[in-house]
Amino acid sequence: MKARDNEIQEEIAVHLALAIADKMARGASREEAERAARAEFGNVTHVAEVTREAQRGPGLWLERLGQDVRYGWRALRRTPAFTAVAVATLALAIGANSAVFTVVNSVLMQPLPFRDPDALYAVSYLPTNLPFELPPGLDDRLYLEYRQHATRFERITGYQRQELTLSGVGDATRIPGALASSTFFETLGVQPALGRAFTAEEDQAGNDRVVILSDRLWRTRFNSDPRILGTTIVLDGISRTVIGVMPRGFTYPASSQVWTPLALKLDGGNSFLFPVAGRLRAGATPEQARSELAAIARALRPDSRADGARSNAAIIPLKDTVTSHVRTSLLVLAGAVAFVLLIACANVANLLLIRAATRRQEMAVRVALGASRARIARQLLTESVLIALIGGGAGILVAFAGVRALVAMAPAGRLPRIDEVHLNGWVLLFTLTVSLVTGILFGLVPARSGARSAPQEALGQGTRTLGGSHHRLRAAFVTGEIALALILLTGAGLMIKSFLRMRSLDTGYDAPRVVTMSVNLPRIAYPDAARMQSFHTALLERLSRIPGANAVGSVSFRPMSDVGIMGDFVVRGPTPLPHGYTVDKPTVSPGYFAALGIRILAGRDFTTADRAGAPGVVVVSQTVAKRLWPNESAVGNRISMQDHPGPNDWLTVIGVVNDVVQDAQLTRHSTIYLPYLQNTAPFFMNQMTFVVRPAPGAANLAAAMRTALRDVDPAVPAEALQTMDQSLMDTIAEPVFQMRLLATFAFLALLLAVLGTYGVLAYDVTARTREIGLRMALGATPGNVLRMVLGRTAALALLGAAIGVAGSLTLTSVLTKSLFEVKPTDPVTLAAVTIVLMLAALVAGYLPAQRAAGVRALTTLLMHD
Amino acid sequence: MHEPRGLSRIELLQGTLDLIILQTLRWGPRHGYGIAQMIRASSQDVLQVDTGSLYPALHRLERQGWIAAEWGTSENKQRVRVYTLTAKGRKQLERERSQWEQLSRAIGAILAPSPDALT
Repeated sequence: MKARDNEIQEEIAVHLALAIADKMARGASREEAERAARAEFGNVTHVAEVTREAQRGPGLWLERLGQDVRYGWRALRRTPAFTAVAVATLALAIGANSAVFTVVNSVLMQPLPFRDPDALYAVSYLPTNLPFELPPGLDDRLYLEYRQHATRFERITGYQRQELTLSGVGDATRIPGALASSTFFETLGVQPALGRAFTAEEDQAGNDRVVILSDRLWRTRFNSDPRILGTTIVLDGISRTVIGVMPRGFTYPASSQVWTPLALKLDGGNSFLFPVAGRLRAGATPEQARSELAAIARALRPDSRADGARSNAAIIPLKDTVTSHVRTSLLVLAGAVAFVLLIACANVANLLLIRAATRRQEMAVRVALGASRARIARQLLTESVLIALIGGGAGILVAFAGVRALVAMAPAGRLPRIDEVHLNGWVLLFTLTVSLVTGILFGLVPARSGARSAPQEALGQGTRTLGGSHHRLRAAFVTGEIALALILLTGAGLMIKSFLRMRSLDTGYDAPRVVTMSVNLPRIAYPDAARMQSFHTALLERLSRIPGANAVGSVSFRPMSDVGIMGDFVVRGPTPLPHGYTVDKPTVSPGYFAALGIRILAGRDFTTADRAGAPGVVVVSQTVAKRLWPNESAVGNRISMQDHPGPNDWLTVIGVVNDVVQDAQLTRHSTIYLPYLQNTAPFFMNQMTFVVRPAPGAANLAAAMRTALRDVDPAVPAEALQTMDQSLMDTIAEPVFQMRLLATFAFLALLLAVLGTYGVLAYDVTARTREIGLRMALGATPGNVLRMVLGRTAALALLGAAIGVAGSLTLTSVLTKSLFEVKPTDPVTLAAVTIVLMLAALVAGYLPAQRAAGVRALTTLLMHD
Repeated sequence: MHEPRGLSRIELLQGTLDLIILQTLRWGPRHGYGIAQMIRASSQDVLQVDTGSLYPALHRLERQGWIAAEWGTSENKQRVRVYTLTAKGRKQLERERSQWEQLSRAIGAILAPSPDALT
């Protein structure tokens, strides 16, 4: 190295000496000659340095990269419009992807915020023949047995979600909470930040008047009072001593704000089913735990097989039970937004191709001047990656806004772990990776073809063949874009159609403006049926006095909620009840049918005369009447709710009403209505929903209803105070969320595809101006030219649409679960989106076509050589 | 003495200097100073090669194997580094020549367009 340096020094010295000698030979004095030679030579040190650099070669790849980046940056700045469009397109697409990834990452990928969360499993033993789906869980007997004998789990805990009325601090409100076994916090591996967890004694009824608060509740309702431990708060009218506050962020299960002990009291007639979680011992497998569970369950109920009722033992990763129901829809969204990115890539690749075509001379000159093709390809690739990285950087900002919008749009309480959704290092890494990959993806083709540009062609032939070789490539990109856009549009179209189906669903009610208000009576203040009934009567009476209230009624469970009572019954007569036939059994007040617009098809409504002591009566829904008494009138027939009815247990059918949608799945259930005034069992009576039908033209009655409730008992909060229309919207909030996002992405895709189509056609027309001019000189009319360009647009769009339809048919089945009464292959939707896309493409092609038709034959022919 | 109009050192024109050096060495081995003088003379004093471009170019061409260098003795008995065109360099020269001819034809066409292109 040193020797080389000396060589260069010597070479320079020789150069100077030769120059001086030369000048002196021409008559200059030595001094003059030296001065002139040095001036001519320039900075000796600098020359030595750059020569050394040249000798060493291009040096580290980093140095070359630096050069490429600088060159690329200069090139991008020379074409600000192109750069802005490309960066904006990518920022939008990458940002949308990062935003969706943020949610997917936080909800599906991040471990649950517990100690060693992978060892946590849900334990489940459920009958397989249920008419509805139950979340995984154990019944109380099996839970106690399993907790005692299971060896594969370190710890096991049971818990149950609940809603409670917090009163005494500010307005009475309902807050989500959980009942939890004393082992709950230990099993999850999270201890209270303040105070202590439950003790085993507190699992016993009578010792369970304690409560643990969430950090948020402690902060918002109790001003972070550090002396809160030992004070009492009132929940559902019961005073409980605060013994702990959980650390920030702990809200399991399902945004719980308070935890009270799960004090189990076994009941001979009923069993209580709740979720159970366990922490697996090191070395134990879920399969071992599962067979142990099955063995313990069989030992507990040896007769269960003979019964014909099969049960299924399952050990499920706890995370899956939290997130599995949103998994598919989140992944569908991630896929949809990835399509948008692909379309954006195609668009930017096309822009680059067009730009490469206009830069062919630049490239050709560089090749002619000695730049290697690899170097040019590398430089073009550097440029595209640079664009993508700038786009990705801007995309982070888009993602920030996007995540906020997503969280705000997400249906309240339906998206699990929503509190944990935030941008983190993973998101940044994801964005960086996506940017790099997209940069390479959309830059590769233009870089390869850019480097291939032969100087002979570009320099020798002028601009006549501009872009000719990329012609097919660009068409392929446009076709691909249109295909992807069509798939997204189909997805969005299906969701929209499904949404319209749900919105226009005949619920059986005629009650969009009817207001509901649910009321839960605390057990302490309302311990028996008599007291609850007098409250209900008073409230009904008070509600009926609201000005503008046309009809009022009450029902024991809210329409279109996921709460209900189902069961079987006994029919009097020769035909027995079909096996496994169950019905909904709501209890309603007189006037309920009128208030909700449920039609009485035969017989009569309940009246105040149908009270305790009077003959027992029921009203059945249409399907029940048809099923049980197909050939006669249902009215007058008798049924019983008792398994072995005595002479006084028979109830007479007095009326038939139309079927209504009862649950959140929007399905119509067979229903038997029981008269509220004849119901004496306090079982479930504490929950009641009141409905008020406004007079035509009356304002929303919600505020007046709240006042009415406060008049009757100010300590009882109003819940679900909303119109039936809002209830329906709540019920379908999840698919609506998915629909809105899919529609947004589909719109974005359509916009990008239209812009892409426009760009390519506009460029085509410019590049073919001479050809068009020639055609016109040879007799083509502007109409011919217009049709020619539009025809080409239609051909591209049709090919893209055909591929898109094929793609849709294979892909939209992922939406099956989210669709309501719409098949994923719905031909009407496919036809509609194809037409929309074709029209959009023709609009995109129309401007360039018009410009082509305006080409003047003579001008263009003379324009070039 | 007139202001030197040296070749600018922008990257884009690097190839041109390479071409000129290779062309110069076609007439026989030469040392750096000799090459500079020859370029100047054969361009009728229009091109004066900046030494900050010349020596890096020489060493780069040497590394690429297009020219070879060895220390020899000059006519006035001075130790000088003499450059020779290699066989590989000769081929490269042919390539660069034809590219250059195309480029200059193209630029020529731009600067002196045919009459009908003016309409």
